[in-house]
Amino acid sequence: MSEYTVVGQTVARVDAVEKVTGAAQYGADIHPPGMLYGKIVRSKHAHANIRSIDTSEAEKLPGVRAIITQDDVPSGRRVFATDKVLYLGEPLAAVAATDPDIAEEAAERIKIDYEVLPVVQDVIEAIKPSAPRLHGDDTKDGPNRREISGQIRTLSRDKENDHSDEISKLEAELEAYPDEVYYNISAESHTEAGDVEKGFAASDVVVEDTYVIPRVHQTYMEPHVSVASADSSGKVTVWASTQGPFAIRSGIAGTLGIPLTQINVIGTTMGGGFGGRFGVIITHVPAVLLSQKTGRPVRVQMTREEEFTDGRPAPGCVIKLKTGATNDGQILAREALAFWDSGSVSGASIGSTIRVRGVYKIPNLKVDAYGVHTNKSGTAAYRAPGAPQAIFAGESQLDEIAERIGMDPVKFRLMNMREEGDAVPAGGSEPKVGYKETLEAVADAAGWWNREADENQGWGVAVGDWTNGCGPGGVYVSVHEDGSVRIFHGSMDITGTDTAISQIIAEILTVPYESVTIRRGDTDSAPYSTGSGGSVVTFTMGNTAKLAAEDAHRRILELASERLNTNVDDLELKDGAVHIISAEQPKSISLGELAAYSLSTTGGPIVGKGSFARQASTPALAAQIAKVEVDPGTGRTRVLKLVASQDVGFAINPMAVEGQIEGGTVQGYAWAMMEEMQYGEGGNINPGFVDYRVPTSADLPTVESVIVEVPAPNGPYGAKGVGEPPITPTLATMANAVKDAIGIRITELPIKPEKVVDALKSNGR
Amino acid sequence: MAKLPVSLTINGDEHDLLIEPRKTLLAVLRDTVGLTGTKEGCSTGDCGACTVIVDGKAVTSCMVLAVTASGKEITTIEGLASDGELHPVQQAFINTGGYQCGFCTPGFIMASKALIDENPDRTEEEFRHALGGNICRCTGYTKILEAVLKAAEEIRTTA
Repeated sequence: MSEYTVVGQTVARVDAVEKVTGAAQYGADIHPPGMLYGKIVRSKHAHANIRSIDTSEAEKLPGVRAIITQDDVPSGRRVFATDKVLYLGEPLAAVAATDPDIAEEAAERIKIDYEVLPVVQDVIEAIKPSAPRLHGDDTKDGPNRREISGQIRTLSRDKENDHSDEISKLEAELEAYPDEVYYNISAESHTEAGDVEKGFAASDVVVEDTYVIPRVHQTYMEPHVSVASADSSGKVTVWASTQGPFAIRSGIAGTLGIPLTQINVIGTTMGGGFGGRFGVIITHVPAVLLSQKTGRPVRVQMTREEEFTDGRPAPGCVIKLKTGATNDGQILAREALAFWDSGSVSGASIGSTIRVRGVYKIPNLKVDAYGVHTNKSGTAAYRAPGAPQAIFAGESQLDEIAERIGMDPVKFRLMNMREEGDAVPAGGSEPKVGYKETLEAVADAAGWWNREADENQGWGVAVGDWTNGCGPGGVYVSVHEDGSVRIFHGSMDITGTDTAISQIIAEILTVPYESVTIRRGDTDSAPYSTGSGGSVVTFTMGNTAKLAAEDAHRRILELASERLNTNVDDLELKDGAVHIISAEQPKSISLGELAAYSLSTTGGPIVGKGSFARQASTPALAAQIAKVEVDPGTGRTRVLKLVASQDVGFAINPMAVEGQIEGGTVQGYAWAMMEEMQYGEGGNINPGFVDYRVPTSADLPTVESVIVEVPAPNGPYGAKGVGEPPITPTLATMANAVKDAIGIRITELPIKPEKVVDALKSNGR
Repeated sequence: MAKLPVSLTINGDEHDLLIEPRKTLLAVLRDTVGLTGTKEGCSTGDCGACTVIVDGKAVTSCMVLAVTASGKEITTIEGLASDGELHPVQQAFINTGGYQCGFCTPGFIMASKALIDENPDRTEEEFRHALGGNICRCTGYTKILEAVLKAAEEIRTTA
């Protein structure tokens, strides 16, 4: 039996009624009087020089109130393309009109004269010298050239001695790697621990493969939207559908040169985010510019098609991975070379390549990662950014090793998993973690140990790790005269976090969950809050809420001690009232009475304040098992069973935690089996739900979730962030299950039916 | 563009409106009538977020020109609860955690209601296929199906 009464219990969410009645106000539901409709004018080519933009025909259309281009951006910061576009859908101008259809018509009437340029969409093509250059002529060295160049630099620095012979020898060595001069590189990241060459030499089995993971869209159901209203004093109000209103405020301030205090961002109910809802330029800045120009509120709302062409999806990547192990199952070395498709700007999560190390003891590790420019929109975070891609490669290859050495994939993983105190490759040492417990839990729940498979059926297992982030936040708690509790804060609810915050405060103030209400302020009113991404909210705001409730708790006892004329140490808050402990005559006073009394005291009303920014987080594991059946005729893979366990530290609202596990697992399934943004010479070619298929209820069975609780020392009640881990292992879980079913390793996602048919054919089946 | 007179019965209320023929039922519900509970997720009839019930059938309102709905009975998410009581489908979505961000929820609830009204005896597999026109990105559908089955059971036993 839990020692708690509210946390750890399943409760209906605080926003339950508004969400099921249509009352919740999302971004596009905001409609201030006199509002105009904005529309962004977008490039029709994936790579082109812009010769001219002619808005004259559009201006003639009745109902058009403003047309803006980069000339209308006083700060000069790039909002619209001017001389060159780098991807299909890149913004060139924006229109505001009295009706959305008029705005669209006007956007179509704007004439743009393009000089079309050659396009590069594939990262492996983009790094070659023959590829068109997106941003000048930047080149970087690949891993071997890097090492030699490093030696040359070291020798050149030694002015005392003459190294010219050695240097010319090394310079000649450089010539041996002509393919390692990479073009179109946006960023690079290199990590090394131990000596991989020694590790491979000592290995009995070495497996090497190339894994290709497609670019996918977060596909939150609410397209990007913002409503901006600039008044004549210069004050700007923005209703923004965003994960981080404070980040949007500073983003608008920085982009447009408006003082922070002149901007108020009101976060509207968020229709999904998954990491993709932090962008500033995407709709918010054009909306502000249009409102400033027209003096009227303006809504800029993306269509689904615009989401696909100009959203900020998850980067695809190509990972060359090599792993060495001994015959008795010890992993000795792993080496990765990754090329991340960052699109037209830098920003792909290339640092996540390190996650190929997984949760295993790998003494020798080398990771080289590059971000590569292509003619696509930029990328952004998507649920555990970069981890699903890297873990797909790592966990796929682990199964290949397990097969070569004849070991059960679960046992192989358990044998190599890190425990408390073990060295993290290229990291510190592991705190207390629940890796083995979580994998064992899913194996037991799925029936792994006595699994059976008919013909064309197979089982797959994989694990993925993630550590929640942390960030600043503030919470106020007030206790009212009726004993009710009101919470005020500034963080966006991301599917249940407001509920978790409410539960925590109810727990500490010993009141029923139902007597707590929570209100989110805008950036003008609320204390600063970190963005709702990186699984930070329950960890950060949960800790913040705890501090606020404890502060209120102190004031409550202080008031009760005055009122009951008793020392604070003899008092206890329980069941919504303060009691004298072990009094001969039991005496108590309710929270409501204390709140009423507080109004006429010197110290004043009960207001608890919590402020928090940072404490160490603890890694969490997600482990999954799938049973599939592949139809060799059609290539279709049907999921027969999908079981997902996760170490959540402590489940504050178990139903919501299950929901996160189920939802994340299905997103991972979709990345493995269905989703892929496809690009041709002209840009994205599948910008809609018919060609970019996301799963529906018809595609899947019930996902069985298994909650494992290995508490995080600094998490509220031991809680770890739960949102991101469940997507991390599923790509490999599915690929491993398909391999088990058909005996063929598919290394290029998604595992669409045609790919399976091709694989079977090329293996003579 | 010339406007046409249209008479829509929405959640029992009659609305006599002048509407451009190019406007969809979704646009009229949201922008003209101000019923924003019905959501726009794709504008191409593929995601189901804009599902409303027209003469007893679930339809994606972004695929219906408003002028063609003249004289028809339209129920939106706002019209589902009655006398301060949530509809059993709404209550089931709360009790099972069948929603997360909530953006697809009005469409899911309307589609589920129409399906249950038509035949509450469907199996889970049948509901899974019948709801294949609605996309949810948060839940993975497990708890949505739980909600729909619970609501169907309740409606079956109280009918």
